[in-house]
Amino acid sequence: MSLPPLEIRALARIIGELDYYQILEIQRGASRAEIKQAYYESSRAFHPDVNRDLDAELASDTERISKRVTEAYCVLRDPRRRSAYDQRIGAGGDVRMQLAEATAEHKRARIEARQGKTLQGRQFYQRAQEEAERGNLKGAIQSLQMAVTFEPGNTGLEQLLADWKAQP
Amino acid sequence: MSELAIGIDLGTSNSCVAVVRNGEVEVLPNPCAEPTTASVVAFQPDGTIEVGNHAKANIIHDPTNTVCSAKRLIGRYFFSEEVKMAQAVCAYEIVEGPSHGVRVKARDEEFALPEISAMVLREMKQIAETALGHEVTKAVITVPAYFNDNQRQATKDAGRIAGLEVLRILNEPTAAALAYGFGRGLNQRVAVYDLGGGTFDVSVLEIGKDIFEVLSTCGDTFLGGDDFDDRLIDLLADEVVANEGVNPRNDPFAFEKIKAAAEQAKKTLSYETEAEIYIPDLTDDAAGSPCTLRRTITRDEYTTLVMDLVTRTFKVCDEALQQADLGHGDLDGVILVGGPTRLSVVRDAVASYFQRELRDDVDPDTVVAKGAAIHAASLVGGGSTPETHAFLLDVTPLDLRIGVAGGLAESVIEHNTPVPIEQTRRFTTTCDEQESVQIKVFQGGERLAEENELLGQFEFSGFRRAPRGDVAIDVTFAINADGIVDVTASDPETGQQASTTLTLSSGLSSRELEQIIDEDKTSRVRADDPLLVPAAPSPPEPQAAAAPYQTGDISELGISGADLEAAELGSSEAIQLEDDGIQFGDDDGIQFGDDEILIDDDEIQIDDEQLLVLADEVVASPDASELASEPPDDGSELFETGQFDLSAGLEEE
Repeated sequence: MSLPPLEIRALARIIGELDYYQILEIQRGASRAEIKQAYYESSRAFHPDVNRDLDAELASDTERISKRVTEAYCVLRDPRRRSAYDQRIGAGGDVRMQLAEATAEHKRARIEARQGKTLQGRQFYQRAQEEAERGNLKGAIQSLQMAVTFEPGNTGLEQLLADWKAQP
Repeated sequence: MSELAIGIDLGTSNSCVAVVRNGEVEVLPNPCAEPTTASVVAFQPDGTIEVGNHAKANIIHDPTNTVCSAKRLIGRYFFSEEVKMAQAVCAYEIVEGPSHGVRVKARDEEFALPEISAMVLREMKQIAETALGHEVTKAVITVPAYFNDNQRQATKDAGRIAGLEVLRILNEPTAAALAYGFGRGLNQRVAVYDLGGGTFDVSVLEIGKDIFEVLSTCGDTFLGGDDFDDRLIDLLADEVVANEGVNPRNDPFAFEKIKAAAEQAKKTLSYETEAEIYIPDLTDDAAGSPCTLRRTITRDEYTTLVMDLVTRTFKVCDEALQQADLGHGDLDGVILVGGPTRLSVVRDAVASYFQRELRDDVDPDTVVAKGAAIHAASLVGGGSTPETHAFLLDVTPLDLRIGVAGGLAESVIEHNTPVPIEQTRRFTTTCDEQESVQIKVFQGGERLAEENELLGQFEFSGFRRAPRGDVAIDVTFAINADGIVDVTASDPETGQQASTTLTLSSGLSSRELEQIIDEDKTSRVRADDPLLVPAAPSPPEPQAAAAPYQTGDISELGISGADLEAAELGSSEAIQLEDDGIQFGDDDGIQFGDDEILIDDDEIQIDDEQLLVLADEVVASPDASELASEPPDDGSELFETGQFDLSAGLEEE
């Protein structure tokens, strides 16, 4: 069920310039179900298992396309990666995205949300954690209070402080 | 009509072979009409080699020359934990081979693990040929989903030594799902709970008509049916120590008798509520007179003995479900795979965990081989008709990582990413006139490099002479549909390719492999029943032996222990990895759990200018050590490698 050789070659040549929506042949606003369906369809055409009988050059072309199809799926099926990607291509940025990229961004965001954006905020949060581990709840609350002072509007810290204060 | 290709489930304890004939999948029984054959190799005093159930019977008489559970050792480094554990329980001798590889010693002859597995594969090939009445050269071989690249490569080597063209290395749970769902037009989400002899895997799949998409796979390579057996063996052995004052573990013959009795008792307990253990004349007691082991074990007693092992499998299941974004109740079915899932303690617990009745129409011993056969048929059939074709969209089970500053390993491709996939990273030089760069590739879930499996390390050299930062190199990490890793490098300017397949240093070099194939020790294998073997099984065609194979261009890439130690000492010239806007180092040294380590603002490097320093080795430069002692002053960190003496033969085109 392979595509005609000419079509494969042409696609392999331009695949580097296509964005993930173009690769999967879907609209920018495609739903998750549509993304999955498109991934299945593209896999049926390009997965190495279906193209074993092709000559080496064409097989390598289809494998290249297949890898890019997988990459497109990995980015678009993940809401976090997808929104970062949409922003980027909306601004005319690189059509490829490193898979580790969005994860790293997310980790940073999470650490900021948990520990705070400022150095002092994080230091007081850290101290609060240490106090809590030692069983010094009073000290922990004091430190966390300081952290909240440096991190106004950090709901994560505020919630934790409220939880601690509620403890007997 | 295309050639028949077989599917082989190469198991830790038992193996099974199946084929698709006339549109039907069938298990090919061995000459004794058994569907599975013991993955045991016995080395006889007359130099012949016996494989299978007869060989297994040999364990009691000659434990030191009977090799079982070789799958636990394949593709491992000698210094690995798993090898130490195997040494403790195996009566046969496990020795260190070249480049920290593992060798098995029997009757003064050493065998690499792929050779042992090849003997089992050759046996399965022969069983298929006997049953089919003609030669078979192509096969799909299954491996636990959680096998790393080293183990996959070694299994592929074994196939090649056995004279098979390995069409595909297939994950066992995926194979099981294929056998379960193939041709049934299902639209289901299923979990495959695969408890083998030595490993535990769980995969969550979405089956839709001809598509089998693996959503997630998780596993524990240190947990299997053998561990269940060990619990009972230990109980019995301890009781002998307590009652008779002798330790049966010191007597290989007595110990094998206990193992056999424990296995029998376990089987009995799957259908009876109690089992009787009786070993007359077990060993001599402290006074020198023969002692007997006699005991009854109840199902409840056994359940208590192994319950924590069952609970451990559910932790893995939790993870798999979470990664697939599903809850316990979201599944339409659970497929049980592996002999140990016959145990009622396992079945009951699994049914209650997944909140559903278990299916009885799937044979846990043969389902994997059947799935492999279906895939083999679909691969040689070229997928011409939808009825004979199934698409497998599998995932990589482990993070693929690159060694970075501070002894850490940064994930380039996360686990449960669909395959085939590839990712490219750009590196630049950090020294003027730098000639080479060295990269270490790991697989595993740990941020500390040393806690992951080292897949390989290689050097790219022959850069054009230029000031630092002027030379770039693109390194591409690819995982193919087999789950096998391939790393290539190219100069983005000149297009010069430096390409290589990673080889494990504990594995066989291409030269060793050729040598083994030439020697063909497997030909000494004695058939179980010579009468039933085809008159003259034709030798594998030379073409098949030279089947397309991952070129082993850097197979001399052995990493010695000294190297590994040196890696920890860490002294090296450095180059930088240009980041292309990737937040490589932004979380270096930080645990993202609840006990996070505080980091300084400066250490969160999120700007596009951020540089990562990667490994390098300058073999040619006598000044390397001098340079190494001086970290670059641009705030980037040194990657810790030692003074390696590696020659990763680069291919220049």
